[in-house]
Amino acid sequence: MTLLDVTLQIFRYKPGEQPHYDTFTVQVDDTAHVIDAIDKAWAEHDHTLIFRRACHHSSCGSCGLRINGAEKLPCITRFSEVWDGHSPLRLDPLRNFPVVSDLVVDVSGFFQRMSASNMSITRDAESTLPLSVEDLDAVVQPKEVELPDNLSRFNRFENCIECGICMSACPTMAVDNKFMGPAGLAAIYRARQKTGDPREVAHLLALADGEHGVWRCHSAFECTEACPQAVDPAGKIMALRREITENRIKKARR
Amino acid sequence: MENQLIQETMENPFAQEPKASSTWYWQAFTGVALLLLLGLHFIANHFIATGGIRDFADVVSYLRNPIILVLEVLFLVVVATHAMLGVRAIVLDFGISDHAEKRLSQVLTLIGILTVAYGLWLTWAIIH
Amino acid sequence: MATHEHHKVRRAGRWFDVRGRKLGMWAFALNRIAAIGLVVYLYLHLVVLSTLSRGPGSWDAFVSLARQPYFLLLDVILLAGILIHGLNGLRVTLMGFDVGVKKQKALFSAFMLVAVVALSAAALKIFGG
Repeated sequence: MTLLDVTLQIFRYKPGEQPHYDTFTVQVDDTAHVIDAIDKAWAEHDHTLIFRRACHHSSCGSCGLRINGAEKLPCITRFSEVWDGHSPLRLDPLRNFPVVSDLVVDVSGFFQRMSASNMSITRDAESTLPLSVEDLDAVVQPKEVELPDNLSRFNRFENCIECGICMSACPTMAVDNKFMGPAGLAAIYRARQKTGDPREVAHLLALADGEHGVWRCHSAFECTEACPQAVDPAGKIMALRREITENRIKKARR
Repeated sequence: MENQLIQETMENPFAQEPKASSTWYWQAFTGVALLLLLGLHFIANHFIATGGIRDFADVVSYLRNPIILVLEVLFLVVVATHAMLGVRAIVLDFGISDHAEKRLSQVLTLIGILTVAYGLWLTWAIIH
Repeated sequence: MATHEHHKVRRAGRWFDVRGRKLGMWAFALNRIAAIGLVVYLYLHLVVLSTLSRGPGSWDAFVSLARQPYFLLLDVILLAGILIHGLNGLRVTLMGFDVGVKKQKALFSAFMLVAVVALSAAALKIFGG
């Protein structure tokens, strides 16, 4: 076990004050994650440091921020991945969200977009839970559980933990407040795949078909690159475009 | 509880179905068409032409060819359309108000029409 | 709610901030820069062409200007813009129809390679003959 002396350069902002960076040096284990260092900076140096964290294992999506400018979940990012061993590590809040204070951003606009598709997110783990009391053995000795209704093809998006990292990485989200964003559009895709009701499908596709829906995406693919859960929002946006286009062609042929 | 949910949904701008948009298709098609039309324009005016550029007499005889005339006018219309759609896309990225979006489309349509009109006038002036 | 970077124009600067970004972002930034350059060029070109309405004298004077080396260099830059925008536009069109999405980075690299080759060949032709 080696100890690392890490210097963090953290973005600080309190309402009414000028934004600036504060430097904290903390000692962490070399197996630690970046969030552990932030915890220590708060505990040992400055209790006014504001940040979000909860699960520490990329399930809750709370801790999303930027490490040296790149979007990451600090709870699963080890120092060996992002630190050169001596330079200060710069921590900034996510882009494209209003900053509340320090590393915490206002995510109400984000959840407004997510709720538009009115879809509950289920985690991968929930869909592989035993389906009956008889299957309780599966918990102790895990076995392949057949998912009903061919749900396995939905699991990709069920990876979404609503962390907002894709929205921070997206260049369109940087300037367009009306854009649904990669997270919102991927949620629409997921909701569309889940439903069999043609009216619901039509409604969901219509939500995506606006000037500030799928058509505002410029194929930068930064969302897909940054997503820590392999949701591939850009791929979902293109898939939505294809279905919308196919429907238009079908409609024109009638 | 249900009424609150409905209320929230109605107030959520992202839950309202927007107007369907076809402009991206036009941008894609004009773009692909330009790969061909611009290619032809370039080759005809700079790679076939002696010295890489046509002198006045060359330009006149070039434009007096009816097939060339049609292609060049088509090129002008397509490039003006693609340019206006492109500028519109850039401005829309700024999330302007619905009213401003309408104004933008009107202004750009006008500029596009004026651009083509200018090109047509110039072509006519050269030929005659 | 306060924000430290809320002004739209300043945030537009982030369109072109490719630091720490991946290929797709490069594609978007280059495409947009080329697009803006090409729109400016389009109108410059249309204005220059008005010389043609004033008869052979003024146009032919422009022709000798257009054959100068520094002007030819501008032509090569123009061609670079056309190739970058045209080929990346093709990529964007393909993506938009959900074609080749998984290969978007490779597609960008391949197209830019084509652009470099075509540009080099054109530059040779422009300056050589």
